[in-house]
Amino acid sequence: MSGLDWLVELGIVLLATGTVGPLIGLNGGRTLALQALGIGLLGLGGALVLFGAAPIGAGFHDNLSPAFGIDGLSGFFLATLAIVALPALLYAHDYLAGANRAPALLALSGLFLLSLAGFVTARDPSTLLAWWELMTLAPAAAILVRSTGPAARHTVFVYLAVTHLGGAGVWISLLALAHYGALSDPGSLVAQGAAVQALIVIAAIVGFGTKAGLMPLHSWLPRAHPVAPSHVSALMSGVMIKVALYGLIRVLFEWAAPAPLWSGLVVLALGLLSALGGILYALVQHDLKRLLAFSSIENVGIVALGLGASILFASEGDSTWAAIAFAAALLHVLNHAVFKALLFLVAGAFERTVGSLELDRVGGLLRRMPWTGGAFLVGSMAIAGLPPLNGFASEWLTLQALIHVAIDSTPGVGLAGALAAAGLAATAALAVFCFVKVVGLVLLGAPRTSAAAEAVEAPAAMRFAPVFLAACCVALGAAPGLLLPALMGLVAPGGELSAQPGLAVPGTGSLPSPWLLAGLLALSALLWRLRGARRSAPIPAWACGQPLDSRLEWSSAGFTKPLRLALESVMRPRREITVLRERGLVQSARYRSEIPHLFDTALYAPVQRGALKGARIARRIQSGSVRAYAAYLLALMLVLLALVRTGAIG
Amino acid sequence: MTALAGAIQIAGGLALAPLLPGTVQAIKARLQGRRGPSPLQPYRELRRLWGKTLADPQPTTIVYRLAPCVVAAAMALALFLVPIAGLSPAWPLGNDVVVLVGLLALARFALAAASWDTGSGFALMGSSRDLTLSVFAEALLLLAIVLVALPAGSTDLVAIEAAAGGSSVWSEPVHWCAAAAFALVVLFETGRQPIDNPDTHLELTMIHEGPLLEYAGRDLALLEWSAAARHWIVLVLAAELFLPHWGGFGAQLGCLAVALVLLCAALALSETAQAKMRILRAPALFAGGCLLALVGLASWLVGGAT
Repeated sequence: MSGLDWLVELGIVLLATGTVGPLIGLNGGRTLALQALGIGLLGLGGALVLFGAAPIGAGFHDNLSPAFGIDGLSGFFLATLAIVALPALLYAHDYLAGANRAPALLALSGLFLLSLAGFVTARDPSTLLAWWELMTLAPAAAILVRSTGPAARHTVFVYLAVTHLGGAGVWISLLALAHYGALSDPGSLVAQGAAVQALIVIAAIVGFGTKAGLMPLHSWLPRAHPVAPSHVSALMSGVMIKVALYGLIRVLFEWAAPAPLWSGLVVLALGLLSALGGILYALVQHDLKRLLAFSSIENVGIVALGLGASILFASEGDSTWAAIAFAAALLHVLNHAVFKALLFLVAGAFERTVGSLELDRVGGLLRRMPWTGGAFLVGSMAIAGLPPLNGFASEWLTLQALIHVAIDSTPGVGLAGALAAAGLAATAALAVFCFVKVVGLVLLGAPRTSAAAEAVEAPAAMRFAPVFLAACCVALGAAPGLLLPALMGLVAPGGELSAQPGLAVPGTGSLPSPWLLAGLLALSALLWRLRGARRSAPIPAWACGQPLDSRLEWSSAGFTKPLRLALESVMRPRREITVLRERGLVQSARYRSEIPHLFDTALYAPVQRGALKGARIARRIQSGSVRAYAAYLLALMLVLLALVRTGAIG
Repeated sequence: MTALAGAIQIAGGLALAPLLPGTVQAIKARLQGRRGPSPLQPYRELRRLWGKTLADPQPTTIVYRLAPCVVAAAMALALFLVPIAGLSPAWPLGNDVVVLVGLLALARFALAAASWDTGSGFALMGSSRDLTLSVFAEALLLLAIVLVALPAGSTDLVAIEAAAGGSSVWSEPVHWCAAAAFALVVLFETGRQPIDNPDTHLELTMIHEGPLLEYAGRDLALLEWSAAARHWIVLVLAAELFLPHWGGFGAQLGCLAVALVLLCAALALSETAQAKMRILRAPALFAGGCLLALVGLASWLVGGAT
C-alpha cells in the first residue's frame, strides 16, 4: 500500500471516530477536530488524485460486494467537500456552543459528511444506494433535532417524499446499469440498444435531478434548506446537491456514454429553466435563507447548462470544447460550493444576533459586523458573477461554451445554444439584481430594527470561517486556469490546455483573471488616492427635505417592483389592497402582495390532490377488519389459481 | 501602428470620451433650433466638479465612498479591451467581449449598492429600473455578440473586427440583424431616449441619473466620466463592428472618426425625434430585438455559410 492509501484510510477512521464521538463521550471541540481532520485528509487525498496521483482502491464493479475507491472525479468532489466542510465544522464549534441537543447535531453532521464522502467513493451499486439514502436521511434528522414544530415536520415530510419519489429514478438507473454490467464496462450498454440507454438516462436525470434541485423537480429544496442549522444548510446547498450532480455525471459521461444528442438538449433545457426560474423566484423572496436556497437552484441550472453543452459538443465530435464545457461545469460546482457555503454561514451568524432573517427587518450590518459583513459582500459579488471573483470565471467559461455551441453546431442545436447563452446572460443580470438587493437590505443603509442596530460581531470561529471562504472566492477568481487542465482531463479524450492562472481558451479573447484582479485593485486604489477625502460636513440623504425615516426606506418588494411589473404575465403576482373608509375619509389602507410559486400551485398541487383523492378511494376497501383482509387474500389466491389454470400466467 | 492604436485606446478613451456626450448635446441643440452648449461643455463640467468638495451623506459606509472609484476603474479597464481600428497591442487583459460585459455589470452593481447605502429613494428608483432593464438588455447584448462572433468563430474583439471589415458582410442578413440588436443596446447603455432621458432629474423619468444624485465633487466627476467612457466603448464598438470600414490603419482611423460623429448625430436625432417611452414598454422593445437576433442567427445557420 502506498502512502496515499494510508492517508485516506486514516481520514476515514478519523471521520468515523468523530461521527460517533458524542456517543463515546468526547466533547464538542474534540469531536469537531476529529471530523475536520478526517475530512481534511480525505480531501487532500482526493486533490492529489485529481492532480495526477494514481487512483486509490477499487474500480467500479457490478456485483453487490462493497468496494471503495477514489479516481479523479471522486477526488474532485472529495476536495470540494473538504473545502466547504472544514470552515463549516470550524463555524459549528461556536455556532453549536450552548445549543439545544448539540451532541446529536454534532453526530448527525459527522454522519452527513461520512455519507457524502461515501457516495462519491462507493464503487458498487449496493453501497452507492446505501450512502445515497443515508445522505438524504442525515440532514432530515438534523432538521428534526433542531426544531420540532409542525412546520419543521411538514418540511421534512415534503423533503423525504419528493426526494424518495424522485430517488426511485436513481435506483432504477443504477440497478439497470449494474444488471447490464455497465458499471464495470461502460461500453457494454451500447450493445443493449438505444431504448435501454434512454430508459437509464431518463431515470438518472429524474432521480439525480430531483436531489440536485433541477426545476421542475426542485419543490423540496427551498423548503428544506432554510430550516436546517446553518452549517448543515451550507453543506446541503454547497455540497449535497452537487453530489447528486456527481451521480448524473457518472451516468451521462461514463456508464451510459456516449450520451445521445437529445439528452444533451434535455439537460440544457432543464438547466436553462432552473437558472432563470431559480433566480427569478430568489429575487422575490423576503427571507434570506429561502432566497439563498432558490439561488442554489439557479446555480445548479448553470452547472447543468455546462454539462448539456458538453454532451452536445461530444455528440457533434468536438472533443476539445466538450472537455472545456465539462470543466466549466465542474469549476462552477466548486465555485458555487465555496460562495454558497459562505453565504449560508454568514446568514446563520446574522440570524443569531438579529433574530430574524426577514430582509426588510435587518439593515446596516456592515458597520456593526465588519468581518462577517465584509465576507458576505465578497460572497454576494462572487455569486452575482462579477469580475474578478470566482463566479465570473466559471460563468464566463460556461457562457463561452454556449456561444460556441451556437457558432459551431448544426442549425437546431445552434439555436438552442444561442437561446441558452442569452438565458444565461439574463440569469447573470438577474443575479446582480438579486444580490445587490440582498447586500443593500442586509448590510447597507440604516438599521431597520432595534435588533439590527444592536447587532454584535460573531465569535472568532464564526468570523474566521466566512473570511477563509471569501479568500477562496478571491483566489479561485484570480487563478481558475490552474484547475482547468486537471478538470478537462476527467472526460476521456479531453483537449489539452496548458496550466496557467488565467483562462486562455482558443476561440475566445481569453480571461486573464490575475491581471483583471490586479488591474481593478490598482486602478481603484489610484482613483481613491487621486480623489482624496476632503468632504463637506455630514448631511442626510436627500428625501425632498424631510428626514429619511424608516417609513421612507425602500423595501425588498419595492426594489423589485419594476421587474415584477415587466414580468407580470410570467410570475402572476397577487395583490390585495384594502381601504378602510369611514364617513368618506380613508382611515387606513392595507396592501398585501405575494408571488405564488407557480410550480407548487400549477404542477404539484394537482398531483397532490390526485394522490389524496386516490387515497380516499383506496380507503373504502380498508375496513380495518381482519376477516375482510382474509377474504381479500382468498379472492386474490382464487384469481391467481384460475389464471394459472387457464394458462394466462406461469 | 499597434502602439499608436494602443495609445488611442487609452489616451483617447480617457481624454476624448467626454467629447461624445458633448457632441450629442451640441447636435441635439442645433436640431431643436437652440444654440446650445459647445461640444467641450462636459470638460468644463468635469473641471468644475473636480474642484469641489465631496458630499458626505449619512449614514453611509465604505461602499458609498468606494463605488465611484470602482465604477471608473471598471470603465478604464474596459478601455483596454476595445481595439481601435482593428488593432490592439498585446495588453495582458485580452480582448474578450464577454469580459467587457462583466465589467459593465460590475459598474452597475457598485452603483446600485451605493444607492442602497445612502437609502435615498431617488437613487434606488433609478438603480432598480436600471437593473430591471439590464436583464433584458444583457440577453440582447449576448445574442448580438453571438451574431457578430459567427463569421469570426471567436469572441475575441480583434478577430471579430477583422471579420466585420470589407464589404462581403453587408450581404449577410445576420449582420443587419446584429446591427439592429446592438443599436438597442447602445440606446440603453448610453441612457438615451426613448429608453432613458439624460437631461432630466425628474424622478418619474430618470434611470441612469438617479444613482448619481447623492454624489458631488470629484466623486460625481468620476461618475460623469464613467458615463462618457461608456458612450466611448459602445459607440466605438458600434462603429467598428457595424459600420463600413476598410483599407489600412490610417484609413480605418479616419472611418472611425467619421463614424463616431455620425453615431453621435444619430443619437441626437433619435433624442429629438422620439419621446421617452413608458419604462415598462422597454422590455418589449428588447424582446423584439432578441427575436430579430434569433431570426438572424437562424438565417446564418440554415444558410450554412460555414
